Amino acid sequence: MSDKKTLGYLSELYEFRNVLQQLVRQQLILRYRRTAFGYLWTLFNPLLMMSVTAIVFSTIFKMDLKTYAIFLFSGMIPFTYFSTSVTQSGQSLIMNEGLIKKIYIPRLHFPLGVSLALLIDSALTALALFLIILVIGGKLTFALFFIPIAYILLFLFSFGIALVMAISTVYFRDLQHVVGILMQALLFLTPVFYKPESMEGKVGWLIALNPLTQFVELFRAPIYQGVLPAIAVVLQAALLSILSLSAGLWFFRKHEHRIAFRL
Amino acid sequence: MTKIIIDNLSLKFRIYHEGATSTKEYFANVFRRKKRETFSDFWALQRVSFSLKDGERVGIIGRNGAGKSTLLKTLCRIYEPTSGKVSVNGRIAPLLEIGAGFHPEFTGRENIYFNGTILGYSKRQLGEIEQEVIKFAELEEFIDTPVKYYSTGMYMRLAFSLATTIHPDILVLDELFAGGDAAFVKRGKERMYSMIDRASVMILVSHDQTLLRSLCERFIWLDHGKVVADGDVTVLDQYVAS
Repeated sequence: MSDKKTLGYLSELYEFRNVLQQLVRQQLILRYRRTAFGYLWTLFNPLLMMSVTAIVFSTIFKMDLKTYAIFLFSGMIPFTYFSTSVTQSGQSLIMNEGLIKKIYIPRLHFPLGVSLALLIDSALTALALFLIILVIGGKLTFALFFIPIAYILLFLFSFGIALVMAISTVYFRDLQHVVGILMQALLFLTPVFYKPESMEGKVGWLIALNPLTQFVELFRAPIYQGVLPAIAVVLQAALLSILSLSAGLWFFRKHEHRIAFRL
Repeated sequence: MTKIIIDNLSLKFRIYHEGATSTKEYFANVFRRKKRETFSDFWALQRVSFSLKDGERVGIIGRNGAGKSTLLKTLCRIYEPTSGKVSVNGRIAPLLEIGAGFHPEFTGRENIYFNGTILGYSKRQLGEIEQEVIKFAELEEFIDTPVKYYSTGMYMRLAFSLATTIHPDILVLDELFAGGDAAFVKRGKERMYSMIDRASVMILVSHDQTLLRSLCERFIWLDHGKVVADGDVTVLDQYVAS
C-alpha cells in the first residue's frame, strides 16, 4: 500500500515535470533580468566577495594569498550552496502562496525548483571561478572528476533540510529571519575560512559534529589538494545525505496537504 | 459516463485568531498549563455527496460562506478532504482568477508559457495556441513587455484570453468574468460560451440568476456546508424564494 502510494507520488511528480522546468527557468531568469551585466553577476558577486575575504583572512592567518584563495574557494562553493538552498527553498511555499491556493501543482516542485535553479547557478559560478583559480595556480587533476558526485551528495543533503524548512516556515514565519542568523553562525562553525585542524580545543567538537564539515571536505580535497576525498568522508557524507533526504521527504509528505489551509 | 463522484465529503477549517502563531507564542504555549485556544474549528463542508455525469451543466448556489468556493477548491485538489472521497475522471482545471499565476517581471509571452504549463499544456501545444491567445487579447505589440507595465485592461485581456483558450474536460468556474471595454466584454462572453460548450462537464458558482438559468440545468444548493437540495431548476426557484 505504502509502496503503491510512493509510486503514485513519484509518477505525479514526473507528470508535472514541465511545471518544474518552468519553475527553474523562472528562478534563473528573474534573478538576472534587467540588470546591466545580467548573468555575469553570477560570477562577479562571489568573485568580489571571495577576493575581499581572501585578502583579509590570508593576512590574519599569514598565508600566501594565492594558496589561500584556492583554499577559500573550495570551501565557499559548498557552503554557499547549502546556505542559499536552505534559505531560499525555505521560502518557496510562502512565495508561491497565490499559485498554491489557486491550482494544484505537486507542492514538492516549489522547493525542488528553487534548489535545482541554485544548483545550476552554483555549478556555473564554480566553473567560472575555477578558470580564474587555474590562472593563479590551481591544479588540474583527475580528482576533479569527483566534483559532480560531491555536488549530488551536497544537493541531496541540502534538499532534505530545505524541505523541512519550507513546511516549517509556513507555520512559523519568523524562521525566515532566524535562518539567516543561524547560517551566519554556521559559516563560522564550518571549516570554510580555516582548516579543521586549526580549531582543535574548545569548539573542536562542534566543528567535528557539524555535518557540513564533511561536505566541505568533499570539495576541498579534489580542488585544493588535488586528491580524492577519503573513503570515510565520502561514506559519512552519503549517509548524511540519505538521512537528511528521507527525513525531509517524510516530513514534507506528512504536512504538505495541510499547508493550503495555513498559507 | 460518470465524471465526478463525491462521497460523504467533509472539510474542516481551522480558523486561527490573531494571524499566524509565531515561534515565540508556540513555545510560550508549550509551557503554559492551561493552553490558550488560538484556533477554533469550523466545518466548511459536511457530508456532501453527489455525482456528475458527462454532459452535465451544474450550478452551485447558496449564500456567502455556504461553502461553494471551498467545494470547487476541493474538487480541484487544492484542499484535501478531512473525510470522505472525491474522485475525478478527466482533466479538471479551474479558470484562474484574473492573472492569478502571472508573474509581473515576466513578459506576456513568458507568462503564457508559464501559466499554460501549470494548466497542463505541453510546450508543443502552447506553441500552437500562442498566436491565438495573443491575437484575441489584441496584444501583438506588447507581448514581449513585462506584464507589470501593462494597463489593467491589457492585463485582464491577456489573462482572460489565456484562460479561455484552454479547454479542460471538466470546467470549473467561480463567477464568470470578462473585463475590458464594451467590445471586449461582448467578444469575451461569446468566447466563454464556446468554451463552456466544449467542456464535457461544467460547474459554475454564481449569484447571477439569469446566467445560472441560461447555462445550467442542474442545481446544487449549499447552506452551511450541507447540501440542502439537488435537482432541476425548481431548486433555484426554491432558493430564490427562501
